[in-house]
Amino acid sequence: MRIIQLVKTQLNMWAVLSFIFILIILLPNILIAVNFFGEPNENWFHIKEFLLLDIFYNTTILLVFTGVTTTIIGTSLAWMITVYSFPLRNFFKWGLILPLAIPPFIGAYTYQGMVNYTGFIQTTLRNTFDIQVNQKYFSMMSMEGTIFIFTMFLFPYVYVISKSFLENQSSSIIENARLLGANSLETFFRVVLPISRTAIVGSVVIVMLEVINDYGVVKYFGIQTFITSIFQTWFAMGDKESAFKLAGTLMVVVIAILMLEKIIRGRKQYSYSTSKVSPIRQKKLKGVKAWGVFSYCLVIFSLGFIIPFVQLFFWMIMTYERILSKEFFTLIKNSFFAASTAALLIVIIGLIIANYSRIHKGVLPRILSRITILGYSVPGAVIAIGVITIFLMLDRSLSTLFTMLSFDITFVLRTSIVMLISAYIIRFLAVGYNSIEAGFEKVGSTFTEASRTLGSSTLGTFFKVDIPMIRGAIIGGFILVFVDILKELPLTMLLQPFNFQTLATRAFRYANDEMISEAASASLLIILISGICIYFFHKVLDRGERN
Amino acid sequence: MNRFKQVLFVLLLSFLVLGLMGCKQAAEEKTDAEETTETEQKTEETTEQVANEQEAGVLNLYTTRHYDTDEELYKKFTEETGIKVNVISGKDELVQRLKDEGEATEADVFITADAGNLARLKADGLTQGIESEVLTSNIPEKLRDDENHWFGLTKRARVIVYSKDRVDPSELSTYEALTEDTWKERVLIRSSENIYNQSLLASFIELNGEEEAKNWAAGIVANMARTPEGGDTDQVKAVVAGEGDVAISNTYYVGRLLNSTDPEEVKVAEQVGVFFPNQDTTGTHINISGATVVKHAKNVDNAVKFIEFLSNVEAQELFAEGNNEYPVNPNAAITETLTSWGAFKEQDINLTILGDNNTRAIQIFNEVGWK
Repeated sequence: MRIIQLVKTQLNMWAVLSFIFILIILLPNILIAVNFFGEPNENWFHIKEFLLLDIFYNTTILLVFTGVTTTIIGTSLAWMITVYSFPLRNFFKWGLILPLAIPPFIGAYTYQGMVNYTGFIQTTLRNTFDIQVNQKYFSMMSMEGTIFIFTMFLFPYVYVISKSFLENQSSSIIENARLLGANSLETFFRVVLPISRTAIVGSVVIVMLEVINDYGVVKYFGIQTFITSIFQTWFAMGDKESAFKLAGTLMVVVIAILMLEKIIRGRKQYSYSTSKVSPIRQKKLKGVKAWGVFSYCLVIFSLGFIIPFVQLFFWMIMTYERILSKEFFTLIKNSFFAASTAALLIVIIGLIIANYSRIHKGVLPRILSRITILGYSVPGAVIAIGVITIFLMLDRSLSTLFTMLSFDITFVLRTSIVMLISAYIIRFLAVGYNSIEAGFEKVGSTFTEASRTLGSSTLGTFFKVDIPMIRGAIIGGFILVFVDILKELPLTMLLQPFNFQTLATRAFRYANDEMISEAASASLLIILISGICIYFFHKVLDRGERN
Repeated sequence: MNRFKQVLFVLLLSFLVLGLMGCKQAAEEKTDAEETTETEQKTEETTEQVANEQEAGVLNLYTTRHYDTDEELYKKFTEETGIKVNVISGKDELVQRLKDEGEATEADVFITADAGNLARLKADGLTQGIESEVLTSNIPEKLRDDENHWFGLTKRARVIVYSKDRVDPSELSTYEALTEDTWKERVLIRSSENIYNQSLLASFIELNGEEEAKNWAAGIVANMARTPEGGDTDQVKAVVAGEGDVAISNTYYVGRLLNSTDPEEVKVAEQVGVFFPNQDTTGTHINISGATVVKHAKNVDNAVKFIEFLSNVEAQELFAEGNNEYPVNPNAAITETLTSWGAFKEQDINLTILGDNNTRAIQIFNEVGWK
């Protein structure tokens, strides 16, 4: 009897929906796990013998160095913006998030286009100054170049997360350190870095997952990584089994990283007993110091945004007459439609799961909420394998069903946009969910409980109390997902329905066919739309801080 | 608070717009997926025009070729025949997608570069033979499958591009000669991940045997001016920049540089020469991009009409011109750029071989450490 009662209290609409969504996310992963343990074939031994070591080596180097450089740049910028006041600080505060608007593969093509033999730099040196340079120093296509690209376009993850942590958490600690006579450097290394460890590690893990997931940059620069090898075995060798095995191995790597994150984070949490957090008073810098900090910010902002933007702009001027047609409107429409639909659904699903695991404390809801991150940890190409397989099964059973019911319709899910949107949801749910969960954590459950005590239903409370209270987090989550999907490449390429191209796939198509200046128009549109979204994201963040 | 309202307003506004777009999109989606059924229903009640459309129907195309002129051709085809062309464009992954979909595929025609890919599609049982007099008369026998499972549409040659300053063309002879000591640290070529290199090596496996082919790959690795990076265009630029003296590249990349809007790129192209290797022996390696009718195609008649359309002189000229390739139809004129390079002797192998030897070629590349 008690069990029935327990089931009754636990099994409500929220639970059922949450379980369904989680199951959808799990399916492709289960599929890969099952295939991972299949019998290895001849190709797999070949891969193991000749490639695996290289892949591991390259991936490790990329992860370690990008991790270190993004940490240094991201945290130092966050620190400077938070505690100092200097020229243009208010602009840099959000301007430094803008590199996120540039998909790394576009950044890579742009920089290589700039530094190569016919690029702006070398032609100027050659034609104006008559200087012939050693090509060795003018190629981005190396490990160092790849790390540079990833650093310049991914450091904002570390910057944003560390900045919001510092702004919210550390004012009194920093002020105390100052009072005790520590200078800025000491404060940064001995106080700020240790207390923001959790935030930094969390954000660096996001950077690492992005690096692992990248296809465009490493493909173009010829760096063999897990993703390029998965694509090669799957598509070039046509060997799905070995591709599954590689994907499985990669998932082990990802899990190792996530576990490492947990260990580094430790149990230590520096939070406040009081909810009154006073904002940091910025120290006004003068003279050399002020201009030093200003220049540092400017250099990073130029490398991560202005330079590639201006270069793309020039290329666009060169090519727009041939390239910009009315089809571009369709591209914008497609990109907007796919990204906003998926982002909206993700926000809704995120709200349901977050609300469920908030109301029902316990192991099960906790596990559920952890599973949401699974999609983000798994590379897009791998998700695509799973999603295609599942939709094939779905289509088959649908057609059987229709035949059985003798309906005279052919409804193919695979060539509809449903498949692509589902894949987006699986991949990016974590991004939206984390934002919403953080929002819920911030407001706590007192208001919800008060509302319930006053006789409102869970659903009524949800709409009247919960949602309005965390709308900032909801909008923030929506924007982040939206920008991510706008830039997304592997899923869109692998799962596109008929006549459906996005700005990202169009840009990649031109660039991949070695027509980089033709890719500029689509690239610029992505950057502009993402840039505007990031501006709004910053506004939402800013508002959250002031309240 | 005010600012928040502004943000909210803008977001709501964009949603409204998106919502409207979404509805339209959804409607279009529906038409795509249910075209046949819907038109069937409509015919009973509406105009003749719809009836025509129904007669014409659709053609679903998977393509890994995507130049702007290709799209113009699809439009032209629709204008002439009333057949609507639906396109999914991608790269190698489309082959796998077709395989995965099997009988359930919606694709009618598959267009892809490299005979190796086409041959593998046939080997996997994903293509069907086509009886068409138009095709057999428009496309030379060598450039189509022996059972007419696939048809070449454009032809490309993989040649040696050399620095006019530092290399006398008389020094050049064959692909094989590039492994000699005189070329140490002078050879530029892209990574082995690329299908052009895989097919090149596959052709050597056929012509010279596996052992020789492997020696050639190892010899090229030993003579490389640098670790492979970038595409064919990057190799050509590296020749001019002095990183190496010769590069192996497809001809159309040089053609594209010659006709570029960027004057610096034109300068680069003018400093290199195009050399057709193996003229006294096995001939220059050629490949095609081509089309095949998918085994489980639902619109076979339209598919045949479509490929026939692409093989006619007018379409061939546009098709090849878009990417500076050679048309397969002997009656089609070639561009000025291509004329300037002259005629050449081609490798005389059945292109199907390239598919058969592909996996072995990839393995050899890995074995000899060709990145």
